[in-house]
Amino acid sequence: MTLQHYLLVSAALFALGVLGLLTRRNAVNVLMGIELILNSANLNLVAFSRYGTGNLEGQLFAVFVVVIAAAEVAVALAIVLTLYRLRRTPNLDEADILKG
Amino acid sequence: MNEIQQSLQRFLPELALTGALLLVVLVDCAQAAWKNAAMRVLTLAGLAGSLAFCLGLRGVSGEIWSGMMVVDPLGLFFKVLLIGASLLVALVFTFRNSRELHGQGQGEFYALLLAVTLSNLLMAGANDLAMLYLALEMVSITSYVMVAYMKGDRMSNEASLKYILFGAASTGAMLYGLSLLYGITGTTSLPGIREFLGAGMTDATRTTMYLVAMLVFAGFGFKTAAVPFHFWCPDVYQGAPTPVTAFLSVAPKAAGFAILTRFFFSGLATPGADAWDLTGSIDWPWVLMLVSALTMTVGNVAALTQTNLKRLLAYSSIAHAGYVMLGVVALSANGARGMIVYLLAYLVMNLGAFLVVTLIHHQDGTFDLRDYPGLYRRAPLLTVSMAIFLLSLMGIPPMVGFMGKLYVFAAVIERGPSYWWLATVGALNAAIAAYYYARILKTMIIDAGNEEKPAFRLATADQAWVAVLAIANLLPIFFWARIEDWARASLTLYAGR
Repeated sequence: MTLQHYLLVSAALFALGVLGLLTRRNAVNVLMGIELILNSANLNLVAFSRYGTGNLEGQLFAVFVVVIAAAEVAVALAIVLTLYRLRRTPNLDEADILKG
Repeated sequence: MNEIQQSLQRFLPELALTGALLLVVLVDCAQAAWKNAAMRVLTLAGLAGSLAFCLGLRGVSGEIWSGMMVVDPLGLFFKVLLIGASLLVALVFTFRNSRELHGQGQGEFYALLLAVTLSNLLMAGANDLAMLYLALEMVSITSYVMVAYMKGDRMSNEASLKYILFGAASTGAMLYGLSLLYGITGTTSLPGIREFLGAGMTDATRTTMYLVAMLVFAGFGFKTAAVPFHFWCPDVYQGAPTPVTAFLSVAPKAAGFAILTRFFFSGLATPGADAWDLTGSIDWPWVLMLVSALTMTVGNVAALTQTNLKRLLAYSSIAHAGYVMLGVVALSANGARGMIVYLLAYLVMNLGAFLVVTLIHHQDGTFDLRDYPGLYRRAPLLTVSMAIFLLSLMGIPPMVGFMGKLYVFAAVIERGPSYWWLATVGALNAAIAAYYYARILKTMIIDAGNEEKPAFRLATADQAWVAVLAIANLLPIFFWARIEDWARASLTLYAGR
């Protein structure tokens, strides 16, 4: 395993995340896409830290990113839940009263 | 030990806010009649204390917390601006004069306001990629909750949903860019990155740096609502409670510019004598120029056809972000000064406009421009003040908005002929903007209608704050020399390692 392998996997994860973000209608699936993006960056950070830079700053950064991701998803799920309560659907297409 | 003590001392503004935030949460648990008043007083005291500590740090420059953050005059200017914005919002918008917030729980609002302010300050002082990302996400997450404040309201919920999905996507892209930046440079500290890039780059590194800059700009563009990352802005501003909209349109945007400035100037450039020399001869200005021109144009053109005042002001705030970006584009000391002067002016003119919109909504329950005729007769004070705010937003002398535009345009023009096209685009945009601002005034003053509706009954406090904000737009020109001195003295960025 070299750095390149990790970078390839993380780039693939990032691409999958963006794909999920753009194509999914269900809010929960979109959130999963966002998680993939964050984790691809995490993989980058840890791989660079292990194989490239030789310091621990990247590992430390990754720990904080995990925390942020958890906080973000907690807030996002709360809002998706409110959406479901108000409209009985998790579909983003139906949240369409604001436009113009 | 010494370093920790010194850091704590220079961290007092943030500590004051943290203390106030915890106390507000604690008081909110009490079941007493006085708790709302107590929380408001605590919030104001925390903000005022933080402001006082900031003023006590004047002229201080250096790193704190082992280089995770810096204290420097430019950061301090932004901190004063950001605390000022929160203070004004807490003073001016109350649960009494906003129909949307009326009857909602107050504790969370004040706690969230303090939390956003705290994270805004962290953002203004961040000096490390990890700190930068943490602060940016903290601002975002707390703003998402603020936007969703009206729990049973479908618009508020939808606005927050769009905000969070858009925000998470763009900050995710930014994080990916930051991770690549760490991989290239081997450090997360901004001065360290500058040193690495300053030592020279291979062609492969330069190509990757372009990619990194694009990805990272997604995060900054989202925070400052710059094109093409502005799509959330109109929906969020329209759906959020108006006091929250007023706050979001000023404070996180200013913090976004603070971090943008620090990232580009401190991380990627070295301060030269006149203009900053960008390391590695990457062609930043062209990218930023394009973004600035597009941001202005898209914001202004889209605002032309809006009839919902909140949505109109949202597009206008996108356009103003474009003007502020002119100061960043210039990449010079004068550009940075233009940027901070513009943000200062933007604070008073935009908050004023939102206050008038809130008060009209409080009385009539409408944000629609088509319900605005006849206001001149029914609410002369509001109409005259709105005229002042709008003329200021247009950039008509002697309002502060004119001074802001003067500084950014001058900074761009003096960079030389290759920048003049941008100044021309800016001038054309100012003309477009004048149309839709003037249309609001025409509706309020000249158009006939609403003859049967009664005159406005405004609380004395509301009248006083409208007047104060109007005066804040008119008077500064008379003691401009002092503001100029303050802005000039604030132009130092701590750049050491």
